[in-house]
Amino acid sequence: MTGGAPQVFAPWDDPKAKPLIEFRGVTKRFGDFTAVDAIDLNIYPREFFALLGPSGCGKTTLMRMLAGFETPTEGHILLDGKDLAAVPPNRRAVNMMFQSYALFPHLTVYDNIAFGLKRSDMPKSEIDGRVTEMLKLVQLGPFAKRKPHQISGGQRQRVALARALAKAPKLLLLDEPLAALDKKLRHDTQFELMDIQEKTGTTFVIVTHDQEEAMTVASRIAVMKDGRLLQVSTPPQIYENPNSAYVADFIGDVTIINGTAEPHPDGYAVHWAEGQAPLVVRSPLTLSSGQACHLAIRPEKVDVSKTRPEDDNVVKGEVIDIAYLGNLSTFHVRLPGGQMLKAQKFNTEHSARKEITWGDEIWLSWSDECAVLLDR
Amino acid sequence: MSDMTEDTDRLGALRRWALILVPYLWLLGLFLVPFIIVLKISVSDIALAIPPYAPTLDLSQGWQGLRDFLGKLDFENYIFLTQDDLYWKAYLSSLRIAVVATVLTLLVGFPVAHAMARAPEEWRPTLMMLVILPFWTSFLIRVYAWIGILSGEGYLNQFLMALGVIDSPLTILNTPVAVYIGIVYTYLPFMILPIYATLEKMDDSLIEAAEDLGCTRLQSFWLVTLPLARPGIIAGCFLVFIPTLGEFVIPSLLGGSNTLMVGKVLWDEFFQNRDWPVASAVAVILLLLIILPVVLFQRNQERQGEAGK
Repeated sequence: MTGGAPQVFAPWDDPKAKPLIEFRGVTKRFGDFTAVDAIDLNIYPREFFALLGPSGCGKTTLMRMLAGFETPTEGHILLDGKDLAAVPPNRRAVNMMFQSYALFPHLTVYDNIAFGLKRSDMPKSEIDGRVTEMLKLVQLGPFAKRKPHQISGGQRQRVALARALAKAPKLLLLDEPLAALDKKLRHDTQFELMDIQEKTGTTFVIVTHDQEEAMTVASRIAVMKDGRLLQVSTPPQIYENPNSAYVADFIGDVTIINGTAEPHPDGYAVHWAEGQAPLVVRSPLTLSSGQACHLAIRPEKVDVSKTRPEDDNVVKGEVIDIAYLGNLSTFHVRLPGGQMLKAQKFNTEHSARKEITWGDEIWLSWSDECAVLLDR
Repeated sequence: MSDMTEDTDRLGALRRWALILVPYLWLLGLFLVPFIIVLKISVSDIALAIPPYAPTLDLSQGWQGLRDFLGKLDFENYIFLTQDDLYWKAYLSSLRIAVVATVLTLLVGFPVAHAMARAPEEWRPTLMMLVILPFWTSFLIRVYAWIGILSGEGYLNQFLMALGVIDSPLTILNTPVAVYIGIVYTYLPFMILPIYATLEKMDDSLIEAAEDLGCTRLQSFWLVTLPLARPGIIAGCFLVFIPTLGEFVIPSLLGGSNTLMVGKVLWDEFFQNRDWPVASAVAVILLLLIILPVVLFQRNQERQGEAGK
């Protein structure tokens, strides 16, 4: 971070920053099944860290090891520099918000939030103040005397959050916290979560399979697959510079073209179809001539036009499908040789949609900076 | 037009009534009517006749007959129950045995139900089967089997002596201990099943949440598992307590003459003394003893339900 530049929150780029959580070679096996495979990962204070992946990728196991419900088969987990192995869940400065919320049905909203405080060494006189503070934070004051079954799903979610935050943990774990909410409420709650995370200054680790949710809330995302971390980076980095075809495909919409690379000034030319001009791309990768590779192209990076434009890459294709989304349209275009390519166009003009229709021959173009070269 | 809707309305109402009527008829025919008969016998006098009590209602005498009939009814059997200390001692002893046996059954049944609910899901049907399995054999035979186990030369004594734990046979049969063993054994499934049902549908993450919030294992059991199992515990206790209070077979087979229980007194009055009126009075009091706690409990539940709203 230099002089006048606005201070950016990026402790992961600062070699002096001390991580709150360190995973060191952590492996977890259940019988023959390896749920988490030799993971090294640092999570820094005040981060909103997302573990993203399909079900069965090991993200929940990773989180349950942080909470203390599972113990690593191999490796160590450090919290604030101290090994967590010998610390049982009830003694960890870590609280969890469960996917099912796990609210105690026999206790009122107030007593649910006070539950953890009563088990702590907080003096009785201070508990009431703290609970009231938490109720205010999640705007549930009027519902303090209700039982969990007497409030709505969104309210229950907020009680669970307040209960987990009440003990002011160093680390808050959120297991698919918004999965049970409908879409509209989920969007509102995402912003509320970020707001609360900022207000309380707590480190959040969220487990989710929803890439949009991870992109919205997280400061960094770890994409997991089969117990391994594929990429750990900020949302823009993951989106613009995915390090594998899997990550590119998992985050957002993308077209992956298979081909062979050949060195070219500033990068590579990718040969992708018989009799077609190669696609040029800038890349920091070093590939040998003729090496098999993927080219990942985001649909919004591709320009659509009816006349041949001037650009680094220009291909002609036939419109097979149009998905009209209001603010933009997605075109599914068949290139010569059968390769499909997705392209998006903002509907800035009123009649934009009518210009191009099914079966039209159109030109697709993009610059050599807009695609991402991935080795196979 | 309006007539027609009125007709269909009336038909619908009739149908609803018919539906509600069925369970009421059942209760009336199989519970209320027998109870009234027993109640009537309990306020009659013993007689050497068939049936062995008087008066009987003679409707051929008309109003006068009814008046004579009602005039002869009195509560002297109930007064008699208070004069002979055998009866209140039998009630008290039955209550004590029923309470102790219920607590013992709970102490044995809860851990079993808890273990079943926490067992791997594929085992649960088998475990449930094992709990229910004894019902496939006659209750009487199973109680007789306990005589063979508990008697002086029984298997238990032989086993303990073979192990060298004891030198001379323990006297278990014909003592209250044998009655408790018999009751706990017989009524255990009635305790286990309702508790298992409540524990089984409990979300495991509740226990994890309790631990996550600072509870030790014991605290999370006390603060979460137990309160949530409460309905099952109460149901199980009633299912054991009520039949135990009037239990006859177990104390008469295993308890010998040392165990005083109202079920045995009832039997003796009916079949030894052939004093139906006193026996009926004993039965009516027993019924009141059972109904009272049930009604109180239901009141309490209703009040709690309203407070929750």
